[in-house]
Amino acid sequence: MTLYEKIKTIYSSLTDADFDTVITLQNDSDGKGDYIAKWEHPTLPRPTDEELA
Amino acid sequence: MASIITATTTSGLTQSADNSGVLQLASGTGNLVTVPSVTGTAMVSGNMPAFSAYMSADQTPTANTWTKVTFNTEEYDTASYFDATTNYRFTPLIAGYYQINCMLSAQPGANTNDIGLYKNGSLFKFQRVLGASNFIELVINYIMYFNGTTDYAEMYFRSNTNAGYINGTSTYSTFSGCLLRTA
Repeated sequence: MTLYEKIKTIYSSLTDADFDTVITLQNDSDGKGDYIAKWEHPTLPRPTDEELA
Repeated sequence: MASIITATTTSGLTQSADNSGVLQLASGTGNLVTVPSVTGTAMVSGNMPAFSAYMSADQTPTANTWTKVTFNTEEYDTASYFDATTNYRFTPLIAGYYQINCMLSAQPGANTNDIGLYKNGSLFKFQRVLGASNFIELVINYIMYFNGTTDYAEMYFRSNTNAGYINGTSTYSTFSGCLLRTA
């Protein structure tokens, strides 16, 4: 499951528009995988590492 | 009128001077170059950095995730300023304004298909193409300033589905640039 899919599982209400504006996922192609580069959602807290594990 | 320093084939260096305040350099007879009356590094055709790179294989990013495009094969890199091995980035060591170009072919396209020009690790400019067709062609062109020491540029891609990939051939997806003028 990708990071995006994990986040969608935790917060099913999130839309593509959210990932286009207040949330940025990024992968620098350095072998470290996807990560949350920005989380500025006005109401939903950033998922913890435990939730994303 | 100008003061002229000439490299001759018979007398070594010769010079002629006047009070114009203009300096010209010459190789042999003719072929005059006027030295600009500005501060900076004189660049002539032949020593201005240029590069072009492409991907040796397809790349499949995950949905809604800005993913750096792995341009790992160089077509040319005149000054070795492009890193096609580790970071897939252009870091020119001559300050100035560079024409930066990138084209990506995404297949199949998603509802949203984004190409992002990153400067120093942050999104700098981006373009979006809407519509899920068989091929989506993404292009970004920009004249970008680099400080000649730490500034670098990378290309990222994002789509809103998992289905697509970027065509990894020199024909479809390339990243290129060249120096237009020094700072």
